[in-house]
Amino acid sequence: MHALGWGLLTVAAATMVFPFAWSVSTSLQTKEALLRIPPQLIPESPSLDSYRELAQVMPLGRIVLNSAIVTLFITVLQVVTSAMAGYGLARFRFRGRHGLFLVYLGTLMVPFQVTIVPLFILMRWFGWINTLQALILPGIASAFGVFLFRQFFLQMPAELEEAAALDGAGPWRTFWSVAFPYARPATATHGILAFMASWNAFLWPLFVARNENAMTLPVGLASLHGRYETDWNLVMAGSVIAVIPVIVAFAVVQRHMSPELLVGGPR
Amino acid sequence: MRKRMWTLIGVLALIAAACAGSGTSTTAPPGDTTPSTQATSTTAAPPGTEATEPPAAPVTIRYFTFSAAPDHLDDLDAMIAAFEAENPDVTVEVETAPFDEYFSKLRTQIAGGDAPDAFELNYESFVDFASKGTLADLSSMMASDESLDPSVYYQRALEAFNLDGTQYGLPESYSTVLLFYNKDLFDQAGLEYPTEDWTWADEKAAAKTLAGLGDDVWGFFAGIHFWEFYKTAAQNGCSFFTDGQVTIDQPACVEALQYMLDYVDEGIQPTAAEMGGVSDGDMFVNGQLGMITTGIWMFSAFESAPFPWDVQVEPGNTEKATHFFANGVAVSADSDRQEAAYRWLRFFTSSPEAAKIRVDASWELPTLTDESLYDSYLAIEPPANREVVLKSLEYAIVPPVIERQAEMQDAVNALLERAVAGELTAQEALEQAKTEIEALLK
Repeated sequence: MHALGWGLLTVAAATMVFPFAWSVSTSLQTKEALLRIPPQLIPESPSLDSYRELAQVMPLGRIVLNSAIVTLFITVLQVVTSAMAGYGLARFRFRGRHGLFLVYLGTLMVPFQVTIVPLFILMRWFGWINTLQALILPGIASAFGVFLFRQFFLQMPAELEEAAALDGAGPWRTFWSVAFPYARPATATHGILAFMASWNAFLWPLFVARNENAMTLPVGLASLHGRYETDWNLVMAGSVIAVIPVIVAFAVVQRHMSPELLVGGPR
Repeated sequence: MRKRMWTLIGVLALIAAACAGSGTSTTAPPGDTTPSTQATSTTAAPPGTEATEPPAAPVTIRYFTFSAAPDHLDDLDAMIAAFEAENPDVTVEVETAPFDEYFSKLRTQIAGGDAPDAFELNYESFVDFASKGTLADLSSMMASDESLDPSVYYQRALEAFNLDGTQYGLPESYSTVLLFYNKDLFDQAGLEYPTEDWTWADEKAAAKTLAGLGDDVWGFFAGIHFWEFYKTAAQNGCSFFTDGQVTIDQPACVEALQYMLDYVDEGIQPTAAEMGGVSDGDMFVNGQLGMITTGIWMFSAFESAPFPWDVQVEPGNTEKATHFFANGVAVSADSDRQEAAYRWLRFFTSSPEAAKIRVDASWELPTLTDESLYDSYLAIEPPANREVVLKSLEYAIVPPVIERQAEMQDAVNALLERAVAGELTAQEALEQAKTEIEALLK
């Protein structure tokens, strides 16, 4: 039974890893070697030429920096705004809070394609086309994040807040010192989702960016696709660069998402 | 905790300031720093100021392209440098997008009031953009332009970008499709190389012999989709539209589709399953295809083929017909720098300097009548028989175009796919295509 479990897990892991291994392998080969039949998973003469060529055909450093700045801002701001809004909706009683929450949820139903032109006009009106602000601002609030944090804060034991109140903490202090640290698993979960969504975002950055000023990595990678043919070794080199931060982020955050933390309580 | 949070916000604010600062400093041209604020301020100012003193006021125009990226950005830069040297008052800024997303971005920009001053259009989308009033009328600018002789352009190419008597665009480049063949496989099979007066029957007979050379060798490949089909139909004397009527279901069209399907059914052309995700071009380079019908844009990709190969004008059945894939360029109707944008486009499409750069780089071909411009292109080998590229122009046909072009292509492609899968006969597929296209015309 044990052996069977291991066997199944190994097969599953191999299936997951294989595409990534292939992209790494492709990125280390020359264009000519890629066409060989049968394809080689382990390159005969691996080289970093694809990465060098990639840095030549596009301002790679600038593009990665843009992606990093946009992702950092969106992730941090989205977690903070979502946590605050979720806390407010979950722990404060005020008129219309249910209605307000429904409006939030309702925005999840509006497809992005509907809002893209109005949003574009708005950004143009701000004079922000081709700037990083135009990539960041529309992403700083997330209805899904509000929902996630609200559900989390609804389960928070009242004793925690009462203890904070006894120590003389106001709502602001209570949020930052008690509630927000308590919501660490939600922060980790939503943080990683926001991170991935903004790191991989394509359509909006494509529309906003005119040149390398606001070009992000997914847009840069798409520009490698020719109309008729594509240099896959370059695309894969770019994809490997693009996927590394995601893997690192997961490795760092995974610890905080562990299930036992989801059932914390007064200690 | 709170203190740390504020520190973090402070740091983020500093990064924001830093990146905003570097954003403005890295941009070289003076007009570029805050593009959209500049755009709004110039719209606020009366547009007449530019017209009264053209040489004095330097302008920056935005040119949006799909064909330059990723391989020809350096060539485009060289053309712009030559243009700016002659026109010191104009700076051209390039924006690119991959072809698949180009038109979504362009439509968003136009709808959002942020259209580029000049942009590229392929022939099929040109009709749609021109009929929606998004393109500036170039006729008067061309008429008053003393340095322009319209006969430098191929007449048919210029006409392609004329809608109902108004010139909305200039022809930029064209590309065509040829019959490519693997000389080694022809030699092995003991076949004569294709000639210009080959017909469908010759092609098919040769393909059959080539397919017999081995299990992983096929005689022929041509995609079975909208693009190949309207041309193959034309080679059989059939066209999608005749006098405003949809005639895609005529016997000559059905016969043409059946001819394409037979290649797959008889095992002469590999099926998608047999190709296993390898592209047709890669299969040719691998030596698995005796002949392939594909575009001249594959010349550079086929340079790496480890065998000799050459090209020929495609065979026809009742007549000869070859593709004419044209790209044109147009000026935005919303632009307040139309004159400068027109000057750039005229240089880009018709100047010998730009044509030379384009030809030397094999970045498609200019649509110019001066044959000496093609000398360097014709001298390159492979293929040795390169002059058939120009010869193909004699048989060139433009694609069928309707306003709802993308929907027509999708509908036809879906039906052709079902015909390839054997779900529909050629007759059924084209009868259904007629019904669907008629619905799109309403």
